[in-house]
Parts: sequence; structure tokens; C-alpha cells
Amino acid sequence: MKHVAIVAALVLVLVSGGVSESGAAAPIKLGVVAPLSGPGTSYGLGIKQGAEMAVDEINKAGGVGGRQIQLVVVDDASNPGQSVTAMQRLVNQDAVDLVIGGWGSSQVLANMEVSERAGVPNIVVGATNPKITTAKNKWTFRVIQTDSVQAKEIAKIGVQVLGLKRIAVINDSNDYGVGNKDAFLEAMDELKQKPVEIQAYNSSDKDFTAQLTRIKAANPDGLAIFGTIPGAPAIMNQARDLGITARFIGTGGLANENLITLAPKASAGTVLTTLFHEDVDADGRAWADRYTKLFGGGSQPARPVLAAWEYRTIRFIAQPCLQKAGTDKGKLRECIATWKGKVFGVPTEVHFDETGQLVQESVLVEVKDGVFAAYKRK
Amino acid sequence: MLWQIVVGGVATGCIYAVVGLGFTLVYRTLRMVNFAQGHVFMAGTFLGLLLATRWQFPAVSLLVAVAVAAYGIGLLLDRWIFRRLYHDHVVFVVGTIGLGIVLQNAVRLFFPEPVPFPKVFGERIVVLGSARFQVSYVWVVALTVLLVALLHALFAYTRVGRAMRAVAADPEIAGTVGVKVPRAIGQTFGLSFAVAAVAGVLIGPLYFVSFDMGDMVGLKAFCAAVLGGINSIPGTIAGGVLLGLLEALAAGYVSSAYKDLVAFALLLLMLAIRPTGLLGYETPVKV
Repeated sequence: MKHVAIVAALVLVLVSGGVSESGAAAPIKLGVVAPLSGPGTSYGLGIKQGAEMAVDEINKAGGVGGRQIQLVVVDDASNPGQSVTAMQRLVNQDAVDLVIGGWGSSQVLANMEVSERAGVPNIVVGATNPKITTAKNKWTFRVIQTDSVQAKEIAKIGVQVLGLKRIAVINDSNDYGVGNKDAFLEAMDELKQKPVEIQAYNSSDKDFTAQLTRIKAANPDGLAIFGTIPGAPAIMNQARDLGITARFIGTGGLANENLITLAPKASAGTVLTTLFHEDVDADGRAWADRYTKLFGGGSQPARPVLAAWEYRTIRFIAQPCLQKAGTDKGKLRECIATWKGKVFGVPTEVHFDETGQLVQESVLVEVKDGVFAAYKRK
Repeated sequence: MLWQIVVGGVATGCIYAVVGLGFTLVYRTLRMVNFAQGHVFMAGTFLGLLLATRWQFPAVSLLVAVAVAAYGIGLLLDRWIFRRLYHDHVVFVVGTIGLGIVLQNAVRLFFPEPVPFPKVFGERIVVLGSARFQVSYVWVVALTVLLVALLHALFAYTRVGRAMRAVAADPEIAGTVGVKVPRAIGQTFGLSFAVAAVAGVLIGPLYFVSFDMGDMVGLKAFCAAVLGGINSIPGTIAGGVLLGLLEALAAGYVSSAYKDLVAFALLLLMLAIRPTGLLGYETPVKV
């Protein structure tokens, strides 16, 4: 009798287990490529946190159409080669339904070939080189502004609002820096001003004395820096040490709280275009407060800029499209391409253009009293 | 402008030289290259960072503490690891590459991002003619000179130093006349660790520190040592300063984006003309 009872119990467990398993739909797989090591770590952590926050909220509210979202985050070590491997893993091994993430133009330009070939929708949140969104890249979208828009914007602000007359340029010789520099020079041309000096450096450089000495000799009143952490803050510190008093301007590469940590004095007064600022509207502020509460207090300070884009892309673009189109990749791509709507932090309605680029107005900030403050354009 | 570039180049060159000394010390003794040298330099910086931020060590005691600690670690690693590797050059090279990767990733666990180093040498700006630079540059150059003087004194006037030299000249004969060969080799490793770690503390306040800072410096320090003559201490110093200067001048006057190309093309040319390095000498092969 006892044995029968045990067997019956076992059968019951098996059957009920089987039933509940077939009852739950397979999860939607969302892939994220992000640098969790190497020079891009601080940006990558933001991307990862934004994704976790969004997916957690969606899953707690019952998922998308009853399906939970499973997040697969792969580290690309801020390296283009490893970025390709990371994307291959997501596409081939994990068979994700879509990819949202990516940092660094060189990395994204390398890894997007994989998602393009496999026909997986890929929404880029952290790379700005114009070549990423072109008409021939059918599966690749991007939510942040390109180098050309940002660099042109900052050229205009530098000349027309800040009244700079002698602007010098220093750029990282990677895809990001060169893309920015080219667009900036083009805009300067249209503004009828010639940069007084143009210098380049390599991402791994630590000492910028030679470049900055040349720049100092040109006696600039503005220095446009197109680079990221740690190059950019090092340039700022060393420029001030050399006695360069020019005002620093730049684009999204500088929009990282680590800039202020690494160049606390030298970065003061820097004006830059950024991709998100919490004080643009009330919803942005409310989100940022929730974000800092979740991720602040760790060993690394919370970095809202790319986290905000990752979060908003998942919540406002991916979620409604997954709801509407399901996980059929062609339909999903179609839905994203025709999507139109409001996201917090951007004043006007936004949509993707025919190249897959999200059209929007850029956000300006100034480094003031050790924080990024919203900068009012006149 | 020239002076500014020269000052920057000499200071960078001194760092290459001091890290390069680590390569030279080990190479002279074992005829082997320790590829973890650059990462030892990086680890030295982080050790200095810890002491300077946690316990507020002032400049001189910080340098001494880091040197002593690195010397000790070098001795221990010799006993635990190097001693089992240096019977064969290939095994040694692969072993030290592995050790470097372990060091780098251990530091990366705790410091995944670049962090600022406290200005232990002060924040004063020194003005020299048309050149302006942080007072830390003076420390870098002065300490390099002091280190070379100390090493010279060690090898010329002390028993320990003479024993190390004897082992470097011929371990077999040194052994038969009573020198404890393994111990002298251990001390050589300790010394090579100490100089690299001191270089790490010197460079810390000038730039930010990150777990990958040893890659490029290690590589260039190795080149500096080869350029100067890897079996010669004065040669390594000369090679380091020359490489730093070449880089800075190339960046200032030729192309900042291709400074490494210019510097290393010149280096190749020099080695083609003088394969033993500037002050190096050929070691006769014994039969």
C-alpha cells in the first residue's frame, strides 16, 4: 500500500510538473552586448543595469503577452574582435529574438555584421559613428544621435553661443574620434571658422604633452575633445597643467560621470552634447531617482546616460513591438522601423528614419560644481 | 615648445628605463625574459594606491614601502614559481606571460575602471624656461638617477651585489666558489620587482591608473632594454630615455597619431645597424 501511495504521488508530481511547464510559454530572449571590462566598463555597466531594470519591471508585471523576457548579457571587453564573438554567441548559441545594447563605434561596426547576416533586429544604444545606420543595414537601428549631429551641434554652440573665436581640436584616432572630428570640421566650415590646430592621439596613450604643446602654441580659446574615458579627462588635466585656459567642448564621449571623478577641477565649465539628462522633464527625473536607488551605493557610482537609453528602448520601443509583432524577426523589424512615440527625456515625439536612426533633438549639459547640469541654449 | 616636448619625453623615457631595468636584471642573470614585468609595474602602482589612500603614506615612505614589499613578493614568487620554470627559456616565457595575465585580472576584479592616484608628490607646477610641468616629473627623473646610483653601489660594493654579478657571469663557477646560486637568483627577481613597482608609484600621480596600464609600458620597456642593450644597465637607461624622447618628438613634429610608428621604425633601423643595442655587448658562447 505504502509503495502504491509513493508511486501515485510521484506520478502526480510528474504530471502536474509537466502541465505547468507546457502552460508557461517559452521566454522571449533579449540579448545585450556590453563592455563589462576594458576602457568601456563604466558605459557597459550602465547598459546592463538599464536592461536589468526594464526586464525586471516587465517580468514582474506579467511579461509580454504572458511570456517572460530572458536577458542574456555578454561582455565584449571593449574589444572589436571579442564583440564579434559576443554577438555570434547571442545569435547562434543563445538564439536571441533581438539585441539591444552595444558600446563603442569600433565594436558595433564589427559585431553588427553578425546580426545583419543572421537577420536579427539589433538596436544600438551606445555607438555614434554615422556608418552604423545606413540604408543597406536593414536590421540595425540606433537610438542615440550620430557623431555628425552631435559634433555639428557642438560646433554651432561653440561658435554662436559660447562665442569661441579660436577653436583647437584633439581627437582619438579610433572610429568614434575621427567620425566626430570630420563632422565637426565640416560644421566649422559652414560656420566660416577655421580650427587653429588639429591633433590626434591613440586610445591607449597616457601622455598628451606633445599634442597639447602644439595646441598651446596655437593659443586657442576653445578646445574640442573627441574622445572617451580615460583619454579625455587625462587631456583636460594635462592641458590645465600646461597652462591651456581654453574652454573644453565635446560630444557624448565625455558624458560620463567618471570624467568629473578623474578631472575634478579641469573639467569644470566643459559644455557638451549628451544623450540623456534627468532634468529635461519630470518623468526623466522620476526614472533617474528610481535608477539611482536601485544601483547607487555600490562600489561604482550609478551611470544613468546609457542606462536611460537601454531602459527606454526596451520599455517604449521593444516592449510594444514584441506585444504587437511577437518574436517573428521580420515582423518585429517592420514594427520597430515604423514605430513612433514619446520617450521621457526627449521633448518631442521621436521615430526612426529610413536608415534606422532615431530622429531627435540633442541635450546640452555643462560641468558645474562637480555635476552635469542641464545647459540652457539661448 | 621643444623644451616642453623634451621634458615630457625624458620623463616617459625614465619610466620605460626603470621598468626596463627589471628586464635587464633578470636577463643578465638567467638569459631569460620575464614577460610579467609590465604587470608587476602595474601591480606596484595599485599597491602604492592602496597604501597612499588607505593609510596616507607620504611620498618617500610610500616609495620605500612599495619597494620593500615588491622585493619580498619577488623573493616569494621565485621560491614558489620561477624556480620551477627557469630550467627552460620557453617554459619560463610562457609561465611569466601566464603570471602577468593572472596579476592583471586579479587587479581588474577590484578596479575594473581607471581611478585617479593621489598626488603624493604635490600638485605644484614647475616652470622651466618655456616648459611647464607637474612637480611629479622632477621626482620621476630624480628617482631614476638615484635608482641607477643605488644599483651601481649595490653591484660594486656589497657582498649580495657581487654574488649576483658572479652568478650573472657564470653560475657554475659562482657556485663552486661558495655563492648560493638559487638565493642570488631569487634576490635578482626581488630587485627586478622592486624597480618595476617603484616605477609604478612614480607614474601613478602623473596619469590615472588602470589594470591594463602595464601592457604598453611593459612592451615599450622591453624594447627600451633591447634598444639600449639588454645585458647593460646604463644601456637600458639610455634606451628608455631615447625611446621616450623619440616618441615625444615624433608626436610633436611628425604626427601625433603615428608617433609609435615613427619611433619604432627608427628603433628597427637602429637595431639593424647595431643588433646588440646601443651599449650592449655580445656574450661569447662557451663550449
